[in-house]
Amino acid sequence: MPSQLNLEELVQDTRVHRNIYLEQEIFELEMERIFERNWVFLGHESEVAEAGDYKTVPIGTQPAIMTRDEDGEIHVVMNRCMHRGASICQDQRGNSSSFRCWYHGWTYNNKGDLIGLPYANGYGSSFDKRKFGLIKAARVEKYRGLVFASLSPEVEKLTDYLAGAKYYIDLFMDLSPEGAVEARAGTHKYGYDGNWKFQMENGVDGYHPNFVHQAFFELQGKQLGRKVMQLFSGNSDYETKDLGNGHSILDMAPKRPVGSRPVSNILRGATSQAASDAYMQSLIGHYGQERTAEILAASNVNIAVFPNLLIIGIQFRMTIPISAKRTDVHLLPTTLKGVPDEINVARLRAHESFYGPSGGGAPDDVEMFNRCTDGLRVKGAEWLELSRGIEREHVDGDGITIGHITDEVPQRTFYRRWKAAMCGAAQAEQIKPLRVARTS
Amino acid sequence: MARLSRPEAEDLLYAEARLLDERRYDEWLGMLTADAVYWMPCNTDGVDPQREVSLVYDNYARLRDRIGRLASGVAHAQSPPSKTKRLVSNVQVEDSAEDDATVLSAFILYELRRGRERIFAGRGEYRIRCDDGRWKITSKKAVLVNNDEVIDNLTFIV
Repeated sequence: MPSQLNLEELVQDTRVHRNIYLEQEIFELEMERIFERNWVFLGHESEVAEAGDYKTVPIGTQPAIMTRDEDGEIHVVMNRCMHRGASICQDQRGNSSSFRCWYHGWTYNNKGDLIGLPYANGYGSSFDKRKFGLIKAARVEKYRGLVFASLSPEVEKLTDYLAGAKYYIDLFMDLSPEGAVEARAGTHKYGYDGNWKFQMENGVDGYHPNFVHQAFFELQGKQLGRKVMQLFSGNSDYETKDLGNGHSILDMAPKRPVGSRPVSNILRGATSQAASDAYMQSLIGHYGQERTAEILAASNVNIAVFPNLLIIGIQFRMTIPISAKRTDVHLLPTTLKGVPDEINVARLRAHESFYGPSGGGAPDDVEMFNRCTDGLRVKGAEWLELSRGIEREHVDGDGITIGHITDEVPQRTFYRRWKAAMCGAAQAEQIKPLRVARTS
Repeated sequence: MARLSRPEAEDLLYAEARLLDERRYDEWLGMLTADAVYWMPCNTDGVDPQREVSLVYDNYARLRDRIGRLASGVAHAQSPPSKTKRLVSNVQVEDSAEDDATVLSAFILYELRRGRERIFAGRGEYRIRCDDGRWKITSKKAVLVNNDEVIDNLTFIV
């Protein structure tokens, strides 16, 4: 048993060391090497739909503000007065063209420029207001309304970064006949005593559902009159896919012809025939028969975008690291533009039935994260095993690694990216690999 | 059956609190009308559950499912279960009509699970209706003070 391991050894091809979930020192490095140097998901543009709209949102553990200026541009500025450090925006959401720090009155516009400096003649002639604008994210880019920021300018274009995830994000957005969703229906917020990576692993884990969600599936199965648990069993034809750059998906599109499929897995039986028909006609009108079938087949997804975004069911899910053993999670349920209200109501009700602090499924996942934090205190068993499916995964014609739905393909790709970010960058900068002592 | 008096309303809410604290969920369900709705808003006091996500927005069938899950033995988030004790107070009967009334209350709910104690507080808004000679709950809205904050595991019934 190794008594000390360097960072690179903590994550291996088919197993990871318990310290990556427990050590605050590693957590701090993750904030620096992942959350400060990588694209990070911050929200959806519809959350700041109007000029002046803003929301506060962390980048890693650092408070930031996502704003929309009067020209319609989205900005990401850090929530820290450049005078003496107080946060300048206290509300989770709002509308304002400027932010005043109420400590000494310094005021910034929603682009981050310092526009108000009380009793300015107290500063010398060499004082340059332009140098005291808020710190801005080095890069802010959008894809299909999803807003990402990077604190480092040294990142590839977002559309390149998203790699294979783009195709599935398109399918998710195209569930709207207008190709646009909105995330303005509120936010579910929950937390747990455990590492942020538990949530990212679990969101694309097709091995756990039959155990963690047995109670939910048994009820659902009775109502739908079919064997829901079959879909996550050893005989399932669902797949896991490595979408590149640490991204992955549980691909639950049926392999059989989709001609007779109902409107969507999520809405099965939950809406009137009239609303379903209107929605279906609208989709076909916009996309044609073939694309509509493809969109609907993919209407039940679990997508992970490294490091902090999951797209699951109808929601965008943001994982917010707080400390090595504490995590917050925000769920942004979406509504579809251009569909009958009834469809969006049914989506919200379906979401609530499983997700959120009082849902019938997700709290059981969270319980497992707490149990992992508990169990991982045991010394002597140092590793978490992620080898499932390693011998049967295969690469398709597009170069995508595919595994069985219950295989740990998503977790392995996540940790390959994690390792590249944590160790590759460190080596490039000639930083001595960290020596991490065993938890004492 | 006449109008609901405040003592009657208090008796009803105290009985409900006791059933929920003792996790006698089937009996609790028996206090509800078949068209009952249980709403626990999220983020705000609750404006329109058709446009906003809620923590819970359950009709009777969904409540029955929820209770069935909690009793299944594999509802992990309630294994072990939360122990709760709630104090219900500030009961007011409003808009009282024949066989129908709105009842407002305030509550403080103490929870203990896995050695961790939490306190929730909130406001109850009930519609009470006389159903077959018995006062029953036809809608319950529980507005938590902290419904816009991060809440770990809220899987017992508030």
